[in-house]
This record gives sequence, C-alpha cells and structure tokens, in this order.
Amino acid sequence: MSYLILKDLEKRYTKGGNLVVNKMNLSIRKGEFIVFLGPSGCGKTTTIRMISGLEEVSGGDVLIEGESILHKKPKDRGVSMIFQSYAIWPHMTVFENIAYPLKLQKLSKSEIKERVMAAAEATDITALLDRYPTQMSGGQRQRVAVARAIVVKPKIFLMDEPLSNLDAKLRVSMRTELKNIHNKEHATSIFVTHDQSEAMSLADRIVIMNKGVVEQVGTPMEVYHDSATKFVASFIGTPPTNFFEVSIEEMNNELFAVSKSFQYRIQQELRKALKPYIHKTVDMGIRPEFIDIFHEDQVKSEYLYDTVIDFVEPQGTHSVLIVNLEGKEAKIVTTKYMDIRPGTKVSLYIRDGKAMFFDRETTLRIK
Amino acid sequence: MDKLNIIQKTVMGLVITTMVFSVVVPLLFFLSIAFSSDVEMTKFPKPLIPTFTVTVKIAPAEDDQYEVFHDRGDGYRSIITTGNPTRLENHFRRQYSVRVPGEQLLKDFSKTRIYGPMEFQYRKDFFHNFKQFFAIVNNSIPALKNSVLVSVYTILISLSIGSVAGYAMARYSFKFKDFINVTLLIVRMFPVVGISIPMAILLIKFGLFDTLLGLALLYSVPNIALTAWITSSIFIGINKELEEASLIFGANSFQTFMRITLPLAFPALTASSMYAFLTAWNDTISALILTNKNQTLALVVYKAIGTTSSGIQYAAAGSIILILPALVFTFIVRKYVNQMWGGVEL
Repeated sequence: MSYLILKDLEKRYTKGGNLVVNKMNLSIRKGEFIVFLGPSGCGKTTTIRMISGLEEVSGGDVLIEGESILHKKPKDRGVSMIFQSYAIWPHMTVFENIAYPLKLQKLSKSEIKERVMAAAEATDITALLDRYPTQMSGGQRQRVAVARAIVVKPKIFLMDEPLSNLDAKLRVSMRTELKNIHNKEHATSIFVTHDQSEAMSLADRIVIMNKGVVEQVGTPMEVYHDSATKFVASFIGTPPTNFFEVSIEEMNNELFAVSKSFQYRIQQELRKALKPYIHKTVDMGIRPEFIDIFHEDQVKSEYLYDTVIDFVEPQGTHSVLIVNLEGKEAKIVTTKYMDIRPGTKVSLYIRDGKAMFFDRETTLRIK
Repeated sequence: MDKLNIIQKTVMGLVITTMVFSVVVPLLFFLSIAFSSDVEMTKFPKPLIPTFTVTVKIAPAEDDQYEVFHDRGDGYRSIITTGNPTRLENHFRRQYSVRVPGEQLLKDFSKTRIYGPMEFQYRKDFFHNFKQFFAIVNNSIPALKNSVLVSVYTILISLSIGSVAGYAMARYSFKFKDFINVTLLIVRMFPVVGISIPMAILLIKFGLFDTLLGLALLYSVPNIALTAWITSSIFIGINKELEEASLIFGANSFQTFMRITLPLAFPALTASSMYAFLTAWNDTISALILTNKNQTLALVVYKAIGTTSSGIQYAAAGSIILILPALVFTFIVRKYVNQMWGGVEL
C-alpha cells in the first residue's frame, strides 16, 4: 500500500514563472528508501522541501497515509529532515540539540534522556553529548543531525544531500551507516543527491529527475540496464553511455542501424518497435562496457569497426579507453586489455542485443 | 606576514607611541586632577600622582589662636591664623581635603603650646572631590538616576525596533528594500543636534518634552538605524537551515526566533546595545535642549565644568562618575561581542 503519495505536485517560485517541479506523481511504500537523483536545479530539493512544508506548493497534493498534509505546519507533518549543512544549532550542546524536539513536545525529563541516549547509541555519539558542535568534525556533526532526526520517530525521513559536505572517504562510510540505520529503524526515507553512486548504493528505488520532470522511477538495476529516456541513459553510469546518430535501414529482411562508419544488426526483440523508424534517424546508445575490442590481427567479422586508441585511463580494476568514433569521443571500459597503449590500432565490436535506441523528438526509449 | 625592517619598525613604534601618549597622558592627568585637593591644584609644578596625606606646620599664636603653614613647593608659608574650630575645619576640608572635626584639630594643635611649632600629618579623604561633586552640584543624584533610565529606555527602544527591522532586511525581499537600506544610513548622518529642535517641537506636542522617554526617543532615532544595520548583517550570516530545522523539529516561528535566531544573534545585539548606551549616556547637547528639570548626569557634569572656575577637580570627579558606568558596561558587553560562536558557518 502507498504510504506517501505525490499527486500532480507543482512548484513555481513566481506567478507565471517557470515550473520548477512539473506535475510530479509518485507513490512510496512504507519503509522504502527512495533516492531523488538529478543534476542541480532539477527540482529534487524543492520537492522534499514541499513535502516537509518549508516550501509552499503551487499545485497538486501531498498525502501521507491517504491524508493530505498541505494545510499542516512543518512541525505537525511527522517528518524529520537532515540538512545539507547539518543545521546543528551551534549554541546548544549535542544533548540539547537532540533533545530540542522532545522538549518542545513537553515530554518528561526522564523520557527525554532515555530517548536521546537511544538515538545517540544508534549513531555512536554517546561520548559527545556534552560537547558543542564547534568542537566536532564534519562526520560527527553529521551523526548528531542523524540522531536528532531519528529521535522524533518520524513517519518520513527527508535527507537533503546530507553527505555532500563530507570528504570522499567519510562519505562512503557514512553512506553505509545511513543504510544501516535505515535498516534498523525501517523509516520511510527520501534521500536527495546528485551523486549517482550514492543513489545506486542506497536506494530501493531511484527517482531520476531533470528540469522538474520525473524521467524514470525504478530500482538501481532498472535505471541502469533499462533506461527509459536518453537523459537517464546519459546521466547514469560512469563513464556515460556513448551516443551515435544512426539511421534505421532494412536489408535482407533484417534491420540495421547504419552510420557513416559502422553497421549494427538490430536485435530480434526491437525489430517490431523500430519498424516505423525505417529511413529515419534515431539516437543509438551503447554503454562503455558493451563495446568489445580486438587487436588488428584477430578474427575479422563484418561488424567490426577499425579505429585507434587515443587515450587510456587506467582505473585499477578496469581501464577506460577513449577512441574516436563518428568524429566523437567514445569511451570503452575494458578488463581485457588493461595496459594497451595509445596509438594502438584496434577493432571495435558492439555486443549483440545491448544497444538502446531513443526517439530523437521525445527522447524516449524505443522498445 | 612579512617581517618589518628596522626603519619600518622604528616608524611604526614612533607612530604608536605618539598615539598612545596623546590618548593616555590627558586621561592620566585628568584622573590625577580628580583625586587632587585644592592646594595640590595650585601647586606648581602640579604633582602627577596625588598624595594620600597632607602635612602642615602649626605654630601657636596669641589668644588661643594657631598659625597654619603649608608648603606649596617653595617652603612653608603662613596661610591662616585662627582659633575658631569651624573655620579650621572648613579650611582643612576645602584646602587639603582633610575631614577632621575642628575640636579634634584644636586638641592636636594644643601640643604646640608645650613643644613649640611642629609638623602634623593628616590623611586626605581620597574621595573628597566626588563627595563634593554631589554636594555642590545640585540634583546630581537624580541626574544619575535619569541617565541610567534614559540609557535603558534607549537600549530597549532601539533594540526591539532595530533588530526586527534588521531581521526583515536580512530574510525577506520587498519593494524599495535597497532604498530603505540607504535611508537608514542617511538617518544616521544627521547630527543629533540637527534634529533636536524639530524633535523638541514634536515632543512638546506629544507632551513628552522634558521627560526621559522623550529623550530616549530622540537617542533611538539614529540607533534604530544602526541596530538594524548591525543585526541584519548578523542575521544574513545565520544559516536559514538552522531556523528551518527548528520549524521541522516542532517549533513555531516565534519559538524559533526566540530559541534559535536571537541567541545566535546575541553578539550583534550586545554590540548594538553598547552603541545605544553610549549615545544616551554621553550626550549633553540634546539633553540641554530637550530637558529642563529632568537633566541627565552628562548635562550636569557639563554644566559643572562650564560654571565653576575654581573647582575644576570637582568637575573632573563628576566626569569620572560619568565615565565609570560606560566603562563597566562596555567591558561586560565586549566579553559577549568577542564570544562569537566561532568556527561554525552560522
């Protein structure tokens, strides 16, 4: 059953201005970990601010457990939030910071203490309770923010790029801890980020947004392997998907994607969908790990394309090869030829069944 | 930082020494005057450090009288010859700041009838000038009370209005915001004397002329603007997310302002209150124009300096009384101003 529902949610900052969030529809199950992913300015932060009540809604509705919460003040919505700057109050000790929401609820002193201690234990900051935030590192402040968020036992956890102020190493370890805490608390969570590896590793489902529009909602595997739009295919994955302009042609009862320098035989399943596009141009997307490379002297087949390696970026577990294809840079991920040298002549082979095709006007995937 | 070479060091040292000298020496001289007795004032050269005791030479004279000699730096000279205890007591109090009853003096001096002329040493009343100031200058005690009240009113008015204005300027965007910002500064440019006359007319119309509240209103005019400026820059520096977090975690806007925003802006508020206090405490000219019976201490001291020709030391004592509260207040406040919540992005 849906726990939180966004219904045609809209936001514009000035009357008649641009829609920052455009008719957003989403339903979230209880206990789910949702990540809003998108480039900056895509409306993801605005959306969670509308859910929290810090931002007014221009249109549509937000429902928690079937009840609209738009008329409620932020404090009455049962949400808690972790801010990008942590928003730990510098004039209060850690204990006071965590106890603040409970004091406002007028709980008894012993209950406040008990709940603060429990939250502090869950986030491993019991030793810091008497300290002021100025005496703490970024990671410790982050934990205080998390403790304060879980102490109120919210219906929904909102996290606004909470890891972006941490250094790279800490970010990865905090990420694991956040997931751990989520698994323990089973709180429904919405996490905003522009970092795709964060999104992929944390999310049950990822909501990919671009210019105020939801491009795709799906599990990390779905958005990667089954991207719904050209934006998703280009945004998810490092290095990003390689795109080529191709025209669809029919030869010998088979469909081919044809460009100046190569031909690609289109897989059986897509033939029906691509039929209407015969003699038309479409975008073909191919992920870097689905291009195989062969040395010149190896077996030749009719679907190999000759080119030269321009650059090699060794990554340890794999290498990224940059070649020139169709006058554009194409990136290839290989684990086979890790120490290949720039200037080497190679042949490329696009693996069967791995190409994605996108309509040039709607940018939607053709399938 | 680059190390200074010797010439630069010397020049810097000279400049700083001159500055310190020009500030500290008059202050010290002024302090010394406030604790000097009348005879010390007329001594030449004037001793910089006031003495704690006074020495007189007494010689017995006819008809139960005594001749008092005093050394003003050029040997003992006969000052007065009397046997009247009241005259003696007054002379010792006024000239030497010594408070000893006349009978006691006569009793002490009677020894000279046996042993001949001898020297006597008496302890000076160190705070004589201060006591004298309150005794001579009429209504100085009520004036002190008035000064305190006017300062408190000024702080309350300029802080309550100014900080709210500062918050609005920091957090909201509205029409003519820049224009209002500049206007606030323009208010600050007017000398208070300049607006005293129109203010006097206004206050008479409102029935606030010669009242402490009226005076405080006048002092608040420039200070509201200043407070708004100081606090708005601090409010801008307070991260909005700190307030938003409070809103989400159960507080309403008023609670958020009282528990989060105000405590964080506390240094700015104390700095502003210091300015408000100093304006109200130190002003004489507006008080001269706007008050009649309800004078402030600064005005009373000003008048004392202006009217007494002989008792400059009393005026100096009055000035010290005027400076002390300002000094204490500034020091207390300075502690808080320095106590910014350092290291955190507010």
